[in-house]
Amino acid sequence: MDRRVVITGLGPVTSIGIGIAAFGAGLRAGRSGISPISSFDTTGFPHAMAGEVRGFEPAAILRRLDPAEWGPASLFAAAAARLAVEDAGIDPERIAGPRSGASVGTCTGEAQVLQSLTEDWVRDGFGALSPADAALVPTARIGAAVNRELGFTGESMMVSAACAASNYTIGNAYDLIATGELDYMVAGGADSVVRWGHAGFYRCGLMAESECAPFDRDRTGVLAGEGGAALFLESLDSARERGARIYAEVLGYGLSCDARHPVAPDADGIARAMRRAHANAGVTPADVDYICAHGTGTPANDLTEATAVRSVFGDTPPPMSSIKSMLGHTMGAASGLGAIASVLGIKEGFMPPTINHRQADPALVGIDPVPNEARPARLRVVQNNGFAFGGNNAVTVFGEVA
Amino acid sequence: MTTSLAITGWGVLSPQGVGADAFARAMAQGRSGLADVGGMFDEPLPAQKAHAIVDFDVREHLGRRRTGNLDRSTAFAVTATGLALADAGLVLAEEDREEVGVVLGCTAGSLRATADFDRETLVNDRPYMVEPLLFPNAVMNCAASRCAIWHDLRGVNGTVPSGQLSAVSVLRYGRTLIRRGHARTLLLGAVEEFGTHRAWIEQHRYGGEPSRLPLGEAAVVLVAEDAARVRAEGRPMDAEILAAEFGQYAAPGQSPDPAEGLAGRLRDALRAAGVTPAEVTSVVTGERGIPHLDEVERSAVEAVFGRHGERLRVKELTGECDGAAGMVQIAAVLARHREDPARDGQVSVVTSCSEDGAVGAVVFRGWSRNGAGRDD
Repeated sequence: MDRRVVITGLGPVTSIGIGIAAFGAGLRAGRSGISPISSFDTTGFPHAMAGEVRGFEPAAILRRLDPAEWGPASLFAAAAARLAVEDAGIDPERIAGPRSGASVGTCTGEAQVLQSLTEDWVRDGFGALSPADAALVPTARIGAAVNRELGFTGESMMVSAACAASNYTIGNAYDLIATGELDYMVAGGADSVVRWGHAGFYRCGLMAESECAPFDRDRTGVLAGEGGAALFLESLDSARERGARIYAEVLGYGLSCDARHPVAPDADGIARAMRRAHANAGVTPADVDYICAHGTGTPANDLTEATAVRSVFGDTPPPMSSIKSMLGHTMGAASGLGAIASVLGIKEGFMPPTINHRQADPALVGIDPVPNEARPARLRVVQNNGFAFGGNNAVTVFGEVA
Repeated sequence: MTTSLAITGWGVLSPQGVGADAFARAMAQGRSGLADVGGMFDEPLPAQKAHAIVDFDVREHLGRRRTGNLDRSTAFAVTATGLALADAGLVLAEEDREEVGVVLGCTAGSLRATADFDRETLVNDRPYMVEPLLFPNAVMNCAASRCAIWHDLRGVNGTVPSGQLSAVSVLRYGRTLIRRGHARTLLLGAVEEFGTHRAWIEQHRYGGEPSRLPLGEAAVVLVAEDAARVRAEGRPMDAEILAAEFGQYAAPGQSPDPAEGLAGRLRDALRAAGVTPAEVTSVVTGERGIPHLDEVERSAVEAVFGRHGERLRVKELTGECDGAAGMVQIAAVLARHREDPARDGQVSVVTSCSEDGAVGAVVFRGWSRNGAGRDD
């Protein structure tokens, strides 16, 4: 018999707020986290805006890790995890040890570290690489950072399914708790803004100039974003027994691969992930009250996503908004932040908006993007979409706990 | 009842051989993959010897079409995946393809692909003039997702960048996905390429460790299914993964001690597998000539097994394959089983340990290709 699995703690580290109170307020207000890029020299780049996280002081959040010993993605992940556990209001000693683990997603890993090593190489040759940076390269350090910050000695699982990674980790954490393999899990993801990602998005014609406007007729593309997302999961019994505040239940998830194109999204593959998620969660499309969209703001993604949604939901799908309009594309953290927005919406009764919306796109028939203003709504079942380069699709489904 | 995975075929691409049979012969002969790598790249290397496929040519394995933009890791993975599918004799009908997925381990994808892409942003007059076709190669999930595209596998597609722990983690993840109905058949493997960037990063990291083994490269892919189903259908298997345990402790020398942690995980894994230390034939460690790391595995194995079982240090033949290391350790055992019915049913254990205090163990039983008793 499966155990029911619930989310009781949320830890966002984002450009619109660090910690769930600030992030939630930002979502409700439709705040934009986009600003001029400061992490690398943007000279020569026609576009120079991104959703960088400002005012992040890992030392003020972390209790065990020394920030000097970890790369930026590890610090985003570990700080997000610490915030999620604090939000869960659980005794940190109770969850230390072998019954607790982490499942952490990333798209580019410690990409800023690699960026710095590339600069060493280009400037002074391979002999000049920084040994300190060389030690920070392994991606698995991100998961290690989460566990070591929290004293978890269960597994520290890593998933890199590019920009859908966090949804994989939420599914994995859900499975491990449902089957009784582990009792407490942190799931989520982390990524940093880097120069090569910015260049790649721009050169592929996928990048907006200064505003990300998903589902708008005149949308022009993504903006890069960064941050950390962490969700604290435990069994429903555990949460009830300790009188915890429950945001939502994890009902299930679905994964698929387009197996078609390295970059272009595919409506069939995406629809398959949605159907698998519904089947796994035991819901029908009619049960879904809101979709937290992948919604990158590229012409191709939004059209493909809308097409897939209509093929699964019919002509009148539920409202579907994109928080990337506020955050930019936080890559490995993106579907984790989407999950946080989804379960906060369930708990507090609202749908986050798609900001920067001016003109409905006639090609996106039937799509209600919750334009510009958060909308009060009772959300019983929410679907959270995450898609990625390589056709890696992952959809999670969350439900209200009465 | 916990699901266990049957391995019904496997593929390997390594300096010791292409395909399970060639690799098995090389391992039986104790043939090392060490080669002179001085002429492999335009850039200088910190060491002239490595376990590398010096003359690797993707077109030999995959043809000319669509191979021009594959980075080395991706070419390795796509090749090994094809070898594994063939070795398993897996014939997929159209409707089966949605139930077949790929999960591959690595350290950080192709370091060369990422660094070379980034380099363009520094050396070009216009920093955005990168090659768009190479953008996906700079992302870590490139190898696994290209395997899906090349072989038309539409099920779960994942990348597990867990370094030394990739084998443990990929097998755990694969077991969960199959148990929970997210896939029926999974290609579970790992890939690590040899290259200038990785060699120099390793040199700056471990240059002070004179006894460390040279770097290696490989791709290993196992075809995994639910063992109960394979048995019920009366099909043979090359191995059954009985347990895979993963723990995250502090760095070696700190508390909580990863050596004690690994001993605990080994005991958990043996318990889950239903075998005693005395029933284990071989313990294949990830020892690599870096004393503070080797000591973690040595002391844990000693504490759990005492004098039971032989110890194998396969990295002496294969080199340090980092993200593919654990899968290469497993392949080394499968290689010994392949042509040797006398080993049918033997239990082996693979151990792994990372610099960051992650440790793990895989317990599995192996059988020969033609031997009796493959379904004991």
